[in-house]
Amino acid sequence: MMSKVISGNEAVALGVKLSRVKVIAIYPITPQTYIIEELAAMRDKGELDAEVIRVESEHSAMAAIYGAASTGVRVYTATASQGLLYMHEMVWWVAGSRIPIVMTVGTRAVGAPWNIWNEHTDFMSERDSGWIMTFASTPQEALDLTLQAFRISEDERVFLPMMVGMDGFILSHTKTRVYIPSQEDVDEFLPPRKQPYTLDPEDPVDIGNMFQPIDYMKFRHSIHLAMLHSIDVIKEVGKEYEKKVIPIGSYSTLNDSYKLDDAEYAIVSMGAWSLDVMQVVDELRKEGIKIGLYRIRYVRPWDEEDIKKKLGDKQGILVLDRSVSFGRGGHLYLELKSTLPEANIKGVVTGLGGVSIGKDMILPLTRKFIEGNTNNEWFYPSEVEKVELRNPRYIK
Amino acid sequence: MSLGIRDISNKPRLLPGTSACPGCPENIALKAISMALGENAVFIVVAGCSSIIQGMGPKSTYNYPVLNIAFAAGPAAAAGMAKAFKLRNKDIKPVVWAGDGGTADIGFASLSGAAERNDNILYICVDNEAYMNTGGHRSGSTPFGAKTASTPGGKKENKKDLPFIMIAHHVPYVATASVGYLHDLMDKIKKARSIEGFSYVQVLTPDPYGWMFDPSKTAELGKLAVQTCYWPLIEYENGKLFISQESMHCLDKRTRKPIKEFLKLQGRYKGVSEEVIRGLEDYIDRMWERIKSIYEGKVIL
Ligand code: SF4
Repeated sequence: MMSKVISGNEAVALGVKLSRVKVIAIYPITPQTYIIEELAAMRDKGELDAEVIRVESEHSAMAAIYGAASTGVRVYTATASQGLLYMHEMVWWVAGSRIPIVMTVGTRAVGAPWNIWNEHTDFMSERDSGWIMTFASTPQEALDLTLQAFRISEDERVFLPMMVGMDGFILSHTKTRVYIPSQEDVDEFLPPRKQPYTLDPEDPVDIGNMFQPIDYMKFRHSIHLAMLHSIDVIKEVGKEYEKKVIPIGSYSTLNDSYKLDDAEYAIVSMGAWSLDVMQVVDELRKEGIKIGLYRIRYVRPWDEEDIKKKLGDKQGILVLDRSVSFGRGGHLYLELKSTLPEANIKGVVTGLGGVSIGKDMILPLTRKFIEGNTNNEWFYPSEVEKVELRNPRYIK
Repeated sequence: MSLGIRDISNKPRLLPGTSACPGCPENIALKAISMALGENAVFIVVAGCSSIIQGMGPKSTYNYPVLNIAFAAGPAAAAGMAKAFKLRNKDIKPVVWAGDGGTADIGFASLSGAAERNDNILYICVDNEAYMNTGGHRSGSTPFGAKTASTPGGKKENKKDLPFIMIAHHVPYVATASVGYLHDLMDKIKKARSIEGFSYVQVLTPDPYGWMFDPSKTAELGKLAVQTCYWPLIEYENGKLFISQESMHCLDKRTRKPIKEFLKLQGRYKGVSEEVIRGLEDYIDRMWERIKSIYEGKVIL
């Protein structure tokens, strides 16, 4: 193990290399582009023993690695925003065929209007697709989760693809110290891929053909069950990762928490700003307010049991969402509300399209919530008071 | 089975019991093509009739490994597969099997990308000239004047000339074929299979359901399309265009069979005006002028 000051994108690229991926599809889209450029460069220098395929769209990126993975090899790609939406159809196709694939999503707002900055709506809009979905809060975690993703998704109790989210720019481009495991440790942790169904003339199988409704529904049910089973697998893999690869993380649970055990109030968040929330917790604790953080690391599977156990007894829960289901509210808020219908939960949608939200803004939001003055709301620090469209006019 | 052609596989690759309509041209093409392909192939089946013809899972009438895939994704999936097989040192050819809608319209970007990268795949377009599996809607490959579910008054535009568009991609091999001439089709598939890199074969597959003719006449329509010079049989290899024997007579306008003989058997051209017929003749004339210029080396594609 060694350590280096690198960006989230570099950390992920190193993780992909260490995973001994065999086929990589690359297509540029901000802010993940650096990952695939780095992989292309590694391949050029002979450091990476993988076939790189430079496709003409994200739809094709997913199709290409799906085709490769269906022959039994380990594959990878990365995307963001419009790109993820463009490959949406293939994202579903891959999960429906139970083909393990790992992909990074450098999260970014979705147009219109154009916006290249961070937001989680792109990522969250795939939550019904059958992919396991995990989200990093640091470049280190982006690397760790990438390595774990291959193990989890290729586990025979799972066989589902897995996407690793990472806040665009905030993690993708920010450099911090990252521990990088040795190839030997990763090799021991991540054995070669095994697959029950591969496309081979020696053993012809069909993937994805038409099925009767009852069989189709059984397939869907199998995805649901695999998703539920993956909870145990994720914990097992996480523990093994701590033991065999990097002994500093905390991966024995799906989600993470901070000063939560004795807390009366909890903030729920996901991704990089969770570190700001930790500072908010420290600040408020100094004032004697018992508050803690529950950090969602896995959107799918959704660890209902753990959430009930850790948050069920809290007096109030404030959910920070960097994504929104229009007319309903933040995605995490909605998930929490359905898990704990009786609890006092309030949701704030904020930070969309790269609106910078740090400790200084989360602190007053939290105070207001503790004082009982918060309804579900949108928060953006701005002079704009009203969102207006132009007056409609008749077209002659 | 022996058709008097050498080096073909007689192991059944299309099993009995397909869900195709009677007289289905894709069934015919698939049988011939798999005989020419031999064993080391994997089919990537793009949404269309062929997704249905194989029958209900978990059984299949295609005696090949098959990856079924969404409309626009076939060439990319095949490209990824080709990379994976290369890595494993396997001489297995990914063969994309797509209809004209999947090729000319929704899948074109992905096809063009694979061609430009010269991915080691064989792309077969079975051209029945409409979206037959979804009720016979016009596609970019539907010819001028043809009545379809979405052009009840006849299509106003000409057929998209895919073979020439593919030639313009500088790929090693492009060919056209017809289910009316199976020997020619098998020869071309064998050639395409042996190519290292991207090859494209477009097979005209007259469809009794969408073209509205008697299902016993599929092969006859396939022949008439060639004899009237509506469908040229050509091959493009190493920068050169070849005209197949069956189409040589088309170079001279006087030896072409009248297009009416091809049209009169089809319900989709029933009762069309003389203007439509002239439009089609015009299309054929211009196409053959172009083929001639390339063939004689006057125009380089
Ligand atoms: S619609 Fe045409 S191509 Fe499709 S199965 Fe029927 S005959 Fe075959």
